[in-house]
Amino acid sequence: MPIVVTGLHHSYKKGTPFEKKVLHDLSLQINDGEFVGIIGPTQSGKTTLAQHFNALYIPQQGTVVVNGCDTTDKKADLVNLRHQVGYVFQNPDYQLFASTVGADIAFGPHNQKLSSGEIKIRVREAMDQVGLDYDSFYKRDIFALSGGQKRRAAIAGVLACRPQILILDDITAGLDPQGREEIRAVIQKLHREHKITIIFISNSMDEVAELAERIIVIEQGRILIDGATREIFSQSEKLYSIGLELPEVMVIANRLRENGYRLPSTVLNLEEAIDSIATALDERQVAE
Amino acid sequence: MELTRNITLGVYLPGETFIHRLDPRTKIVAAGLLVVLLLFLKSYQTYGIFLLFTAAVIIAAGIPLSYALSGLKPMLPVLILMWVFQLLLYSKPGAEVLFSWWIFTATDAGLHMGNLITLRVLFLFTVTTVLTLTTSIVSLTDGLESLLKPLQKIGIPSQELVMTMVIALRFVLILAEELDKIIKAQMARGVAFDRGNFMQKTRKIFPVFLPLFINAFKRAEELIVAMEARSYTGGKGRTKMKTLHMGRVDLAAGIMMLLFCGLMVYMIVSIKPQL
Repeated sequence: MPIVVTGLHHSYKKGTPFEKKVLHDLSLQINDGEFVGIIGPTQSGKTTLAQHFNALYIPQQGTVVVNGCDTTDKKADLVNLRHQVGYVFQNPDYQLFASTVGADIAFGPHNQKLSSGEIKIRVREAMDQVGLDYDSFYKRDIFALSGGQKRRAAIAGVLACRPQILILDDITAGLDPQGREEIRAVIQKLHREHKITIIFISNSMDEVAELAERIIVIEQGRILIDGATREIFSQSEKLYSIGLELPEVMVIANRLRENGYRLPSTVLNLEEAIDSIATALDERQVAE
Repeated sequence: MELTRNITLGVYLPGETFIHRLDPRTKIVAAGLLVVLLLFLKSYQTYGIFLLFTAAVIIAAGIPLSYALSGLKPMLPVLILMWVFQLLLYSKPGAEVLFSWWIFTATDAGLHMGNLITLRVLFLFTVTTVLTLTTSIVSLTDGLESLLKPLQKIGIPSQELVMTMVIALRFVLILAEELDKIIKAQMARGVAFDRGNFMQKTRKIFPVFLPLFINAFKRAEELIVAMEARSYTGGKGRTKMKTLHMGRVDLAAGIMMLLFCGLMVYMIVSIKPQL
């Protein structure tokens, strides 16, 4: 179920004195089963772009076709499309409203008009996927959850619709390290085990480098670079020029390389860093 | 999906025009006078002159006319409903019957009443919108505080009241932005706000308004803490970074307002009202 965007333009508050161009002639394609990271400075248009993927925004100019469904088509079933393309917002407080975790997660399937038996199955399945224990959390009060648990409940609320594409809009922001780790594990599992296409918007280069297979860098509503993760992070000058950073492990590796250690030019995650540093140290010992 | 696009009340449109440069007190008093005048307007001729005056102010302030009017869009259903009610329910002895329908009878008196009341609401909205579009929140507060200062002598906490009002105005936009996000979050889970019968539609309000209220309370609490962290203890003894000054522009504006008010009073007295 690919997403095909062609010549997309979007202006915020169009037709008012506050009009601001957000997306500018943007074209891209996202294929089935990909794990795409979208990065870019704040206000670069990442969220606006992503909200076109599930028809929360209808293109002002250009087209967005999701699994053959053109969102500009007036007859398109957008509600059905939104069930196929899940969207998790950064702030779970915008989404959670029911009194218990179970009732909130059931909201999506309930909108799909499923039978109560099927809804129950979906809720259990979704809670399983995000690692919330069904028996102990089903009746738990939403407002008694921790930050990380709230995010997981919000993700489960979207997963219960069984989307084929999942958009995650900066969902690890503001979490403590443990919460981040939990969410990261959930995302990885969803992609690997359930083969869900994931579009991951993030401001954390560490997370994007570790999780995404492909990265799209957006700047001022245009695509600056689009390619495999390793390729993107090898263009550090371009990233620095728009105010983005490199992943921390890469910064460390670069420093070691400057000091004469033989390390690869891109190191994306902790494992790679540990391996390559260990190899480099061995080599040096042998040389001595 | 953009709710905030159609909200013009409480929005400030920065500019450098004559109207923008006026002392906030001048603008507040002028807006107040215009509102009072509106309550006495009972003929189409007076509304015509009033329209010319407000149009001149809007143009002088450099506000795009389409933008000034776009704020009325969300109010349209209410205005139409009001007009219909007046048309069908208001009458007075001796009025000419226009048409009868079921148990309702529409008269020319009802028609005029509907027209004039709708015009009045339209202008009330426009006058206040122009005031907030051309006056930043800070100067609006300063102006109101300074105008209401005498009330403190009789024990009314005017500064606190003004602060409350300004925060409320500020929250209109913030809440609209939040509402936008919440609606999107629920739409993403398949809520079709435009489908279903009345009862089904009503039930769809809960997933939107519950998070909105909870977030509003949270925001209010955070605001209290933020204000107290900066030692806010109410209005007493607070000083200002910017002090207000009346200038030549204010004198000119005052004279213009006086002339306009004089003209309006003359017209109100001399023209036979349509009501």
